[in-house]
Amino acid sequence: MAELSQSSGKRAAATAPAQQDRHAAAIAMYRKRNKFGLFFWIPLVWLIIVAIAAIGAPFWGLPPADEIDWVYLQSPPVEGHPLGTDVLGRDLLSRIIWGARVSLTVGFAAPFIGVGAGMILGMIAGYYRGWADEVIGIAIDSWLAIPGLVVLLLFAVVFGGSLFMVCFSLGLLFIPTAARITRAATLNYAGREFVLAARAMGASDFRILTKEVLPNIIWPLIAFILIDIPIAIVIEGALSFLGLSVKAPTPSWGGIIAEGREHLSVSPHISMYPTIVMFLTVLSFNLVGDAIRRRLADVREGAI
Amino acid sequence: MGEIILDVRNQRTAFATGRGMLQAVDGVSFTLERGKTLGVVGESGSGKSVLSRSIMRLLPGTSMTGPGSQILLNGKDLTAMTENQLRRMRGPEMAIVFQDPMTALNPTLSIGKQIMEVLMFHLKMSKRDARAKAVDLLKAVGLPQPDVRVDQYPHQLSGGMRQRVAIAIAIACEPDLLIADEPTTALDVTVQAEILDLLQRMVRERNMAMILITHDMGVVAGRCDDVAVMYAGKIVEKAPVRSLFSETRMPYTAALLSSIPRVTDPPHRKLDAIEGRPPDLINPPPGCPFAPRCRHAEDACNRAVPELTGTADHQWACIKPLNTEAAA
Amino acid sequence: MNYLIKRFQRLLIVLGVVTLITFLLVNVLPGDVAYEIAGMDSSEEEVQEIREELGLNRPVLIRYVEWVTGIFTGDWGTSYISDEDVWEAITDRFPVSFELMILAQILALLLAIPAGMISAFRPNGRGDRIIGTIAFASVSMPSFMTAILLIYFFSLHLGWLPATGYEPLSEGLWQNLRPMILPALSLALVEWTILMRTLRVEMIAVLQENYIALARAKGMSNLRILLVHALRPSSFSMITLLGLQVARLLGGTIIIEQIFGIPGVGRLLIHAVYTRDFIVIQGCVTFFALAFVTANFLVDIAYAWLDPRVRTRGAHG
Ligand SMILES: Nc1ncnc2c1ncn2[C@@H]1O[C@H](COP(=O)(O)OP(=O)(O)O)[C@@H](O)[C@H]1O
Ligand code: SF4
Ligand SMILES: [Mg+2]
Repeated sequence: MAELSQSSGKRAAATAPAQQDRHAAAIAMYRKRNKFGLFFWIPLVWLIIVAIAAIGAPFWGLPPADEIDWVYLQSPPVEGHPLGTDVLGRDLLSRIIWGARVSLTVGFAAPFIGVGAGMILGMIAGYYRGWADEVIGIAIDSWLAIPGLVVLLLFAVVFGGSLFMVCFSLGLLFIPTAARITRAATLNYAGREFVLAARAMGASDFRILTKEVLPNIIWPLIAFILIDIPIAIVIEGALSFLGLSVKAPTPSWGGIIAEGREHLSVSPHISMYPTIVMFLTVLSFNLVGDAIRRRLADVREGAI
Repeated sequence: MGEIILDVRNQRTAFATGRGMLQAVDGVSFTLERGKTLGVVGESGSGKSVLSRSIMRLLPGTSMTGPGSQILLNGKDLTAMTENQLRRMRGPEMAIVFQDPMTALNPTLSIGKQIMEVLMFHLKMSKRDARAKAVDLLKAVGLPQPDVRVDQYPHQLSGGMRQRVAIAIAIACEPDLLIADEPTTALDVTVQAEILDLLQRMVRERNMAMILITHDMGVVAGRCDDVAVMYAGKIVEKAPVRSLFSETRMPYTAALLSSIPRVTDPPHRKLDAIEGRPPDLINPPPGCPFAPRCRHAEDACNRAVPELTGTADHQWACIKPLNTEAAA
Repeated sequence: MNYLIKRFQRLLIVLGVVTLITFLLVNVLPGDVAYEIAGMDSSEEEVQEIREELGLNRPVLIRYVEWVTGIFTGDWGTSYISDEDVWEAITDRFPVSFELMILAQILALLLAIPAGMISAFRPNGRGDRIIGTIAFASVSMPSFMTAILLIYFFSLHLGWLPATGYEPLSEGLWQNLRPMILPALSLALVEWTILMRTLRVEMIAVLQENYIALARAKGMSNLRILLVHALRPSSFSMITLLGLQVARLLGGTIIIEQIFGIPGVGRLLIHAVYTRDFIVIQGCVTFFALAFVTANFLVDIAYAWLDPRVRTRGAHG
């Protein structure tokens, strides 16, 4: 904050300290919200813990996620099973950690696939206009007219539940909005002088799109990916809850919650632990994403 | 001396911004008597609107009022009042007409409703009485077919008619103080005079006090008793309208006066005829704020901000006032 | 008028594309319904026979055209598995889903409107921050998780409300509403946040308007300004969203109906998915698309009510 008032030139340096303080206080009052606070750091730490746990899953000496412990069936936390076991006596902690691999993979892959594809479509529509624009517009409207979960159900039925297909079909859901954002931004930039100038210099369309247009629309799209990560995790959770995500016995958070649902009154821990973990993870992604987005907005306004 | 309605003492209003503290109104003082009209003139950005909103206490959350500021309306200090006390003042004791009638009326409420709610809240009128009074008010401000118009929505009215409605709302509870913030700036030249005449008539009939804000010296000439000239948040010259024109002291006032449009000018000529721009209000210069643009400036002008001096009647903030020996 | 016609054309095209894609996805890919019906260890001849019987050997486009024509004439086909008429199966169950959606939307609005107004009144103030934090927690809690928690506390723990089941309206209003409360709440506790944020953003802008300053200058109370002066002009985006949200809600009802055992279209669809009853899947998707399109038309009409500029346009050119 201190650099800010100095950057406004010699005069600021010349004013009395009291005046400086007043300015600093006013600036702080004007934008008190965009610092990285506890609501950024605590969730970030949680996400790092979850990520490390998931990536290193084979190395933690956990019992295999599908190993049945006949001694402890449907058991609350006991020694050897810090979070207890499920109906089949499988270690819940191990299942949750292995499930995190699915959630995180989908959470990152789907938005990248969707936003990437949406970006390409949006640039084509916004840059070439005409019938390409019209066709893409109709495709997007049609896409939006089917509830996302229904699209996924259709894909699950038709293509079956491999991790790749889940990422791919979930990615499709993110295309429309990304394409719309990109199209609007491309329309906006494609008419600007620097693009016209590049075109007059004989630059190819591809070059113009990647060198002139892309750098200007990349920030909103990155912000958009940040929003989409927790959404992807939630939808994967819903799919696996319905048993339509990756095939059993691969554990996934939604699947574990669904398995515990039948035994909610006797062994609530089976559903509750994955619910808590998933909630904290999604919440953390939301909080971290929001903090970064605000910060990005500040940077782009040239405020920092 | 008549009854003093409004007594503004050392009003200071600042805003928190991304670059620091913006001092929009900087130590303004004046009094206003019943039945009188004070003209406030100044370029755009000189703090006129902020001053009017400071008096109405309608400032946004990023604003700060100076510790020594006081605004006495009918002897009661507005700066010390709670929001609830202020609400009871707004309408029956003070009212405001905004610059742009296109945006000052709620597009989703009929104009009748917008008048009636003031009457029903402040004067505790029944719905039926309020409606009858609303029609009367619309008639008083010269709106044709008031009993039809009362049920119409703002978008169905022309700009001039909307401003009449805004005036009807302002005078509904017979306030003691009426603030008109550039009431004609957004209007067609042809209706400007009509609206100003209407305001003047309303003030006279109801014996109110009025602050007429404008950036147009021409508007002030025939319609005000006193005139305060504002620059960079300060009053830089204040005088009865006649003296201001005949014995101008401040070079800034002189510049404003020379920019009054003349009959020979092409229509819609802009008034920003003074060269240069007003100073940065976040980091103001140490001396006279007008110095960078002033033709009479000398070194002394840059040393300290000139204080308001002169007689009780005619005051100015200039170390080298025009039309005096000091200027010679 | 021109605009409405253009929109209508576009919507028809959209419906065409939706039905076509659905049909192709379901019919062109391997593993068609004949295998499902014939069972795991049936011979190729048996499968062929079933194909013949169902007319699955004819070109895809012809079958598509037949099916689409059927849709317009009320013949949506017959389930291969249950022999139920698809149109009847959907329309029998739709009122249940519809009730669930409406209840969810009402609850969501009841939460979103006051919360959005409080947030917009002092952006970044204490109320705004508290509501914003709750909203973050709320969106981070997908409806199936909320449903599990609600069942655990209100059904199993406190025993106030049933965990599953459905009672028709003929059993009495309360009998009908009681088992709907938790399902509707599960949906609403996610949806309200989106409505709230939209309302908040638009209302913050509206509260900067001159006519709000004038309302304050008239001495109107903050509550009255928010409710009478600001709410209406602030709700346009939110109303649009109500229409767009129909798609999300339809998706939400699928999972919620499954959890709470509510016999709606969502449950029909899930069942069809589990049994690979393709003609029912096709029908449900088409129906959802239709519902979505209709909802968005209704939104256009709601605009007219909200904005007198639209309402009186007819009389004034
Ligand atoms: N809400 C606000 N926040 C920050 N600065 C403001 C705000 N309102 C007005 N200002 C600043 O205060 C100064 C005076 O503005 P204003 O009173 O509107 O001028 P006028 O009405 O004389 O044209 C201007 O520099 C303007 O930018
Ligand atoms: S004080 Fe100096 S600079 Fe300022 S108006 Fe007077 S003569 Fe001009
Ligand atoms: Mg102004």
